[in-house]
Amino acid sequence: MLYYLIVCRSLTYAQRTASALDRAGISAHILRSPKAISGGGCSHSVKVSQRSLSGALVVLNKVGLSPERIYLTSGDGSYREVSL
Amino acid sequence: MIYFDSAATTLQKPPSVAAASARAVRMCASPGRGDYAASRRAEEIVFACRNELSELFDTGGAERVVFASNATLALNLAIRSLVHAGSCVLISSWEHNAVTRTLHSIPNVTILTAEAPLFDDNGTLAAFSAALEQRPDAVVCTCVSNVFGYILPYAAIAGLCRAAEVPLILDASQAAGCLPVSLKELGAQFIAFPGHKGLYGPQGTGVLLCGGEAGSLSPLLTGGTGSESVRQEMPLYLPDRGEAGTHNVAGIAGLLEGVRFVRRTGQSRILTHERRLLARTEQALADINDVHFFAAEGENQAGVLSFVCDGWDCQDLARTLGQQGIAVRAGLHCAPLAHSHAGTLDSGTVRVSFSAFNREDEVEYFRTVLKQIVHGILRVY
Repeated sequence: MLYYLIVCRSLTYAQRTASALDRAGISAHILRSPKAISGGGCSHSVKVSQRSLSGALVVLNKVGLSPERIYLTSGDGSYREVSL
Repeated sequence: MIYFDSAATTLQKPPSVAAASARAVRMCASPGRGDYAASRRAEEIVFACRNELSELFDTGGAERVVFASNATLALNLAIRSLVHAGSCVLISSWEHNAVTRTLHSIPNVTILTAEAPLFDDNGTLAAFSAALEQRPDAVVCTCVSNVFGYILPYAAIAGLCRAAEVPLILDASQAAGCLPVSLKELGAQFIAFPGHKGLYGPQGTGVLLCGGEAGSLSPLLTGGTGSESVRQEMPLYLPDRGEAGTHNVAGIAGLLEGVRFVRRTGQSRILTHERRLLARTEQALADINDVHFFAAEGENQAGVLSFVCDGWDCQDLARTLGQQGIAVRAGLHCAPLAHSHAGTLDSGTVRVSFSAFNREDEVEYFRTVLKQIVHGILRVY
């Protein structure tokens, strides 16, 4: 299944992001970012389903938690950055 | 034992505090370092505690809550972020050694002290106002004297600092858990406090609230944060910038329960309870010849009270009370500046301090025992 990863600069931001989405009824899970997309080493990402992304962006914009980068998983296990 | 030393550490805690700490020891790994259940549990506890603290202290975001091992470390972080060699710093005359020793350890710091008559709000504000005209680089001020319980007019002092555009560090060690402290409203650069006093958490927990930009925090510890690992500088965002190394998850788990207890009970209810005990203690002390206590009037006093007794060394008196099962603290309470200000630097004082778990009958017992000791009825060893 395809899904999006919202890359966050810290665990706390990932937690705030997931919390805001959960409160809005959008299922979101925190995971350590895959090495390929983690940027400067380690980071955390929030995973949302493909159909939830647009709603998630609206929610995050409202609470002032604009994502830095978003990736879409591909079927082959690679990641493609999505332009915002 | 009757425990009247909560200004140092609250000993009686809600049972959920120890239970949560013990559970965390058994079930939690390092937060933010692994994608498995034990790490996730740790993350959730740390985040929940940040959120509770953020709401209690109105920080405007959980990331502004930085965990430290105690208030002293939090104050060191704050002071060393704003004060550098050659800086000029304005402090109150009630500061603890966590502030004054830290300032003295930085070379060539000029320390201005806002001197005012004892327990005099207007005088205190006038002294701060006058000293701010000398354009200090920072102000460090306690909310409540840890020796005398005097509640400084910290909201008004914060207003003076905002007007003068001088960054403020507040030491809320005795205020956290019983007085309103809003990071947003006060506009302080930093607010530091321990978890093990009025927030009923375990020892080894402290908090620094950061009101400014992350870059204004100079880390004292550097190391792993579970973020931006390739970078060799500490991250430029909160809370990671101030939190190198594995968190004290067991302590934070206990602190979370302590903060929940405070929020459930209500800070004002706790303060009212402590003030009731304080008023009874003042009555008790006033009834005993040769005992003199120091107290501000009415709402300017938190649940901390110091006294001296003619003919008694404060340590001997505290030890004798301890032998009768009453725990108090005597000496200078790591605050020689406050004692110097009150004229008790040579004698020291005996300090009683309360928590939500103390009762009026304990004060009655204290009164009886103290009277017997002072009147020579109880034998002193």
